Amino acid sequence: MKKCNPFRQPLCILTLGVGLSMAVSTAYADLLEEVKERGVLNIGTEFHFAPFAYLEAGQQSGLNLELMERIGEELEVSINWIDLPWPSVLPGLEAGNYDFVAGPAMITRERKLRYNFTLPIAEATVALLKRADDDSIQTPEDLSGKTAGGGRGTAQLEQLQAFAAELPEPPAITEYVDYSQTYADLAAGRIDAVANSLPNIAYTATQRPMFEVVHPPFGQPAYFGYMARNDEASASLIDAINEIILSMHEDGSFEELQTKWFGQPMEVPIEDFEPEI
Amino acid sequence: MTFDLTIITANAGAIWNAFLVTIYTWLAGSALGIVAGLVIAALMLFGGRPLQLLLRGVIELVRGTPFLVILFLVYYGGPAFGVRLGAVTAGVLCIAGYSSVYFAEIFRSGFAAVPRGQLEAGECLGLSRFDLLWRVQLPQMLVLILPAIVNMLTILCKETAVLSIITVPELTAVLTGIGTRTFTFIETLLVLCIAYLLLIEITSRAGRWLERRVGTYLQR
Amino acid sequence: MFDWPTFVFSLPLLGKALLITLQTSLLGNAFGFVIAILISSMQLAKMPLLRRLGGSYIFIFRGVPLLVQLLVIYYLAPMLGLPNLSPMVAAVLALSLCSGAYIAEILRGGLMAIPPGQREAAHLLGMSRPAILLRIELPQAVQSTLPSLVNELVLLIKASALVSVVGLADLTRVAQNLAASDYLFFQHYLVLAGIYCLINIPLTMFGRRLERHLQRSLA
Repeated sequence: MKKCNPFRQPLCILTLGVGLSMAVSTAYADLLEEVKERGVLNIGTEFHFAPFAYLEAGQQSGLNLELMERIGEELEVSINWIDLPWPSVLPGLEAGNYDFVAGPAMITRERKLRYNFTLPIAEATVALLKRADDDSIQTPEDLSGKTAGGGRGTAQLEQLQAFAAELPEPPAITEYVDYSQTYADLAAGRIDAVANSLPNIAYTATQRPMFEVVHPPFGQPAYFGYMARNDEASASLIDAINEIILSMHEDGSFEELQTKWFGQPMEVPIEDFEPEI
Repeated sequence: MTFDLTIITANAGAIWNAFLVTIYTWLAGSALGIVAGLVIAALMLFGGRPLQLLLRGVIELVRGTPFLVILFLVYYGGPAFGVRLGAVTAGVLCIAGYSSVYFAEIFRSGFAAVPRGQLEAGECLGLSRFDLLWRVQLPQMLVLILPAIVNMLTILCKETAVLSIITVPELTAVLTGIGTRTFTFIETLLVLCIAYLLLIEITSRAGRWLERRVGTYLQR
Repeated sequence: MFDWPTFVFSLPLLGKALLITLQTSLLGNAFGFVIAILISSMQLAKMPLLRRLGGSYIFIFRGVPLLVQLLVIYYLAPMLGLPNLSPMVAAVLALSLCSGAYIAEILRGGLMAIPPGQREAAHLLGMSRPAILLRIELPQAVQSTLPSLVNELVLLIKASALVSVVGLADLTRVAQNLAASDYLFFQHYLVLAGIYCLINIPLTMFGRRLERHLQRSLA
């Protein structure tokens, strides 16, 4: 029988196809221009981070939505939200699956080297959330010998780990895929405290009286920002968004947004700054 | 793209512990699943009609539900009934429960494959039902179903990755955690792929070796 | 224990998400089938290189958990020239590649069961190798393996519960989101399991009927 194989051809086609698509995908030199041409700003986020992004009656709600809608209006583009588990969000940005991350994420020195952050949008200092009926935790140090939870791949978790290591009896720390699950386990009694940024847990405590914030925050002072890739193309997008944020600071609408979602305005830097963590 | 494998060596201890958690949840879950599967299969064969129908229903329900959803039900739904399992315990029990219905099906088909004539011969010799099951059916069946069992074990090994979603500190959880923290997504994923490929390959090789060894008893 | 108003309210949301789940798994199954044809015939090819390539494909895609495959594709596809990968494309791509490996194993069994005489006869009649595969061998292989193929579809629908890691709001993700907003974990996950069962159990039963039918026609 003659040896004839039908699959040499498809293989060639496949190789060719991959090669071609690589050639076609020449990136724009300017992300802002590309986004405007597309008419859509693709944003990666996680819908388990109240009050920034969460679902109410199945619909997205929170500060991210309102702030980015406003920014989208100014840039004359619509916003396409992509909800991902947090451990997938930063790799997805680096891979180029979307233009921007409105997580928000804590601005750390390490992350600042890796990504291009917007101006801060809120305070992000980390504190503990506990069950309101648990009297054994009055100060953050009372966590010694207990159990705590944080989000996998978050800077908040790292702050918790650093703090826990200093305690006389370091608490057992569980890593969760998202913060909704940490609150659920705190309510269920599997853990004694959740470490997250102050705006998040303060909001959660007002929504669910079964929880209470442990004062003072144990983490270093820190801020939340949005981010893009750290390449030249993304700089234009970040600049444009920063300008809009500054103008919102001036006309008072930024403080209005903060008051609506955090109960009070927050002092945040309005220029580039060096993070303390 | 930079490629930095030092991050793996720097976290070798944590990764090794995670590997042990993967092995533990996988093997403990599978072992319990096999025992439960055997019990279910025996009940299906020898239980009364109502029991059979009930078990049939449970099997269909478990087989129709994704493993992740079963995990969510047990881990996050449990506390509503005062059942607060730890993540690792919940993981082991879910693997056991999920796999037991598949193992039961495998055992059932194995029992069915043992020629009826042998059972009748055994009965004529005065063997009890239990003796028939234990000494005649089980040994032959085990040889017949070995490939299916090994296949199921490889499937369960991969299912342990899903446990990362309910905080079990196994390989996938720990390596993706390191990846996100240190921005070494590609490196950690690569190590993750290699680890699972190795586990699966070792399992199937061991399975094939075992098949050859026990297979000789059948070919007489 | 069961909050009916919440249940009624959640139904339209879950319905929409169910369509996403079905769309993803059906597309994944369809493309997976095409991949499987390619891979299974590579495995049965005469050239050692092709056989090895087919074998490696199956080794990799059956040896790595789907959850990890999803992450790999999500992080790496843009490097292969697919920037701005939408969640749907990423999910379908991953499910196709994975199910391709499993379906290939099923089809290979079906193809191997066909008497070689048929191929030789068709060859003598002047049919090309692709024509023999697509018009003579494949239909028979599909017919004899249909129950396994249906079973594979059920497995894929269940596997699709993981696609939210690439940003797709599928049935499982929507139920998870609903549970996070009202803490009714047990109820939402019970409903979720129920919906999967409503799809999967009839499919399984259909597969079993096919199998009985097949056994009768072979007997």
